[in-house]
Amino acid sequence: MKRRPPTNQDLFALLDEVDADGPTVVSSVRQPAALKEALRLAVELGLDANANDATVQAVRDRLEAFAQRRALDVHYAVHPGARPSLAEVAQAAAELDGDPLAGEPALIRRAAKEIVSLRPGASADDVLVYAAGLRSRASA
Amino acid sequence: MSTPAATLVLDNEAVQALADVTHRKHRRALAFLEVANQRSGRRRPAIAVVVPVAVRIEAGWDRRAPAAATLNRISRARDVALTGGAADRAAELRAASGVSVVDATIAQVAEGLVGPVAILTSDTGDMRRVAGLVEADVRLVRL
Repeated sequence: MKRRPPTNQDLFALLDEVDADGPTVVSSVRQPAALKEALRLAVELGLDANANDATVQAVRDRLEAFAQRRALDVHYAVHPGARPSLAEVAQAAAELDGDPLAGEPALIRRAAKEIVSLRPGASADDVLVYAAGLRSRASA
Repeated sequence: MSTPAATLVLDNEAVQALADVTHRKHRRALAFLEVANQRSGRRRPAIAVVVPVAVRIEAGWDRRAPAAATLNRISRARDVALTGGAADRAAELRAASGVSVVDATIAQVAEGLVGPVAILTSDTGDMRRVAGLVEADVRLVRL
């Protein structure tokens, strides 16, 4: 029988089942030797209690972000007007960071407009760096 | 020099705004989730999104309800439970500031999180009063 293609719902259902006290399985992963060594060092430096915890957390974080990205994109497909603009996301980033640029929304809007012509996939943080450059140039 | 927020705490209106596509601040609330999502996996500190359970109760956010499915998925907000000790501290904060029960629990939750902590709130007046009492790097972000 042909396997049904996975859906977002399947992914979320599994992520919701992830629990520190839940069942575990042992699996082997081929990884660059330097990465394994870096992980060992990072654990010694306090990243996590052990390499296993650090690896599980990293994979979990990545899956959560991927699932959230898909959920947001589905939401925007149904409600296109809900998608915040790059300038709005950059404004939110500045406010979250306590960045003084948060008080200059016009500059952020300008930076967002200009940067997408140079770098179509620019992130909110790219916009803030660009806006800081614009401000610095203006005050020079 | 600014320090990126490590944790974002949702208050009642932030939850309401995220849950309701017709809410006037829906898009703005989503912009904060976009920041959290964009920073995941990049060489920037990630932002954890959390919701105190008292906020969930006030906002009527029952994760089991079919109507909450989208909110559960787009926010990926982690619950912060209210323990006995946390309730004691929230009561102490409430007595000292005169804020609502839920606002006191938000401040108590912020106090125990990895900072800097950003509280996404529409009620900056009350939150500022109680946030000033906690021993944590807390910043208020007006929704």
